[in-house]
Amino acid sequence: MKIGLVSPYSFDVPGGVQFHIRDLAEYLIRNGHEASVLAPADEGTDLPPYVVPAGRAVPIRYNGSTARLLFGPVAAAKVGRWLDEGDFDVIHIHEPLAPSLSLLALWAATSPVVTTFHTSNVRSRVMQATYPLLRPSLEKIRGRIAVSEDARRTVTTHIGGDAVVIPNGVDTAAFARATGDPRWVGGPGSPTIVFLGRIDEPRKGLPVLAAAMPAILDAVPGARLLVVGPGGTEAARAKLPERVRAATEFLGALSDEDKASALASADLYIAPHTGGESFGIVLVEAMAAGAPVLASDLAAFQRVLDGGRAGMSGALFANGRSEDLSARAVELLRDPARLQVLSDLGRQRAQTFDWQVVAKEILAVYDTVADAGSHHREVTRLRPGLERRTGGGPA
Amino acid sequence: MTVISWIVVVICLLVIMAWYLSYSAARLDRLHAKVEGALSALDAHVVRRAEAGLELANSGAIDPASGFLLAAAASESLERVNERTFESDLLEGQHFAGRETVESELTEVLHAALPPEVSGDIEAKGGVGAAALERVREAGLRVQLARRFHNEAVKEVQRVRAKRVVRLFRLAGYADLPQTVEFDDAQIGS
Repeated sequence: MKIGLVSPYSFDVPGGVQFHIRDLAEYLIRNGHEASVLAPADEGTDLPPYVVPAGRAVPIRYNGSTARLLFGPVAAAKVGRWLDEGDFDVIHIHEPLAPSLSLLALWAATSPVVTTFHTSNVRSRVMQATYPLLRPSLEKIRGRIAVSEDARRTVTTHIGGDAVVIPNGVDTAAFARATGDPRWVGGPGSPTIVFLGRIDEPRKGLPVLAAAMPAILDAVPGARLLVVGPGGTEAARAKLPERVRAATEFLGALSDEDKASALASADLYIAPHTGGESFGIVLVEAMAAGAPVLASDLAAFQRVLDGGRAGMSGALFANGRSEDLSARAVELLRDPARLQVLSDLGRQRAQTFDWQVVAKEILAVYDTVADAGSHHREVTRLRPGLERRTGGGPA
Repeated sequence: MTVISWIVVVICLLVIMAWYLSYSAARLDRLHAKVEGALSALDAHVVRRAEAGLELANSGAIDPASGFLLAAAASESLERVNERTFESDLLEGQHFAGRETVESELTEVLHAALPPEVSGDIEAKGGVGAAALERVREAGLRVQLARRFHNEAVKEVQRVRAKRVVRLFRLAGYADLPQTVEFDDAQIGS
């Protein structure tokens, strides 16, 4: 099957949506399909062979954080060419409402379209204002996927209709293989705490964790905090109190292997995210690497951790409350048996999100819409066409 | 205002109205076509599920009594497909021709014949049976997806056709109002 994948976000910067698309494309290619990814990218960036760069993305405030998006007539022409040359059986557009390549591709697509909704924060006022413009494009979608229940609820309330839930895939094997790095592994009395995420993005919750650190250090003086993620480390370091600064190491952005081994070294992985997460892929990665998880009680995180009959595979604290975070963290760090149980449950739970499982379901969606779309091709028209579409339609 | 300008205004209004009506009709036509495509996909996957069920029943991987039940339900489903006639159907099958009960029954039988311990057993043994079971699962997932996508498309058409303009000017022509397809398509456990 020939599949065209569209990413609204630039491949220059790491992000959940980009990783999802990259992993999906690689899975498809490994399994004998043809996949091409259209994504914004600066010239001269090192890209995998299956990625077609569509031009330089512009940093712009969108949906509460800074996103690098690509739009304008040149981008639209590029999308059109890519679609023509690709002649895809299915076009899989991620974040179809992101004002970037996705919206352009949805507009121009003539083959069956599958869309995946990743975020759970679409603003309804924006939707109402742009609905007449978007409607013909939205009606073209043949299969909608949401990566989580939250993302699905966004679809049902803001766009109407429904979506099937297929979670993000994680290459759990790569994380399960990872072993602790001697530089980072803690010992008795000096446990390693890991934080992952952009340092200067407040929604990732580093400030919440920083505020909890003094109390954690009071109870467990030898504790060490590893901060993994891109962002201005100097500014973040300056904000920490002296004692916390001494116990904290900023590792910057790490390669996937190093990230996995940092997680495998963790005695406790803390996810203090305050919002904006519709899925929580980091939790799955941490669980796959065997790191016991302590996360804020966001609905999305609770669903990722909740293994049903198997029980919760991670601990929770009240979102945004540093004193609750420190109390829970101290409780766990003093109870190695409980940490071991969480680690084991986490490894099991992570299997559910493995790419092998997830990709099969996505392929099933492709099959379904490709079967439905083989009869005719459709075009978005602003103006009513004079000629009627030929082929089997109702009179 | 002169008579001429009145005439111009009226003509402009008529042109706008004609544009709007023609646009709405084209949109409705597209949506109908989408329903039609989705229904044919559902039909295809329902057939594949029944065929896989029949294959599993005859694979010798399950006991004869379960196999008989499964074969009966699957062939019932396949027969209904063959019986369907399109000649008298102006809509080219924009309905499921009452096959919902048959498909629900097949789902029920699949669940009864393949409780988790039996399907785990078949998988452990491998061979023809495991392959057929895998196909039943794959087809079952596709039936679920196809039915949901179809019902989504139907609801879109229903929403548009409920509009007053569409009803007043009969923009839907003689097309029947498509209906959602409701049957039990719960996937068998692993």
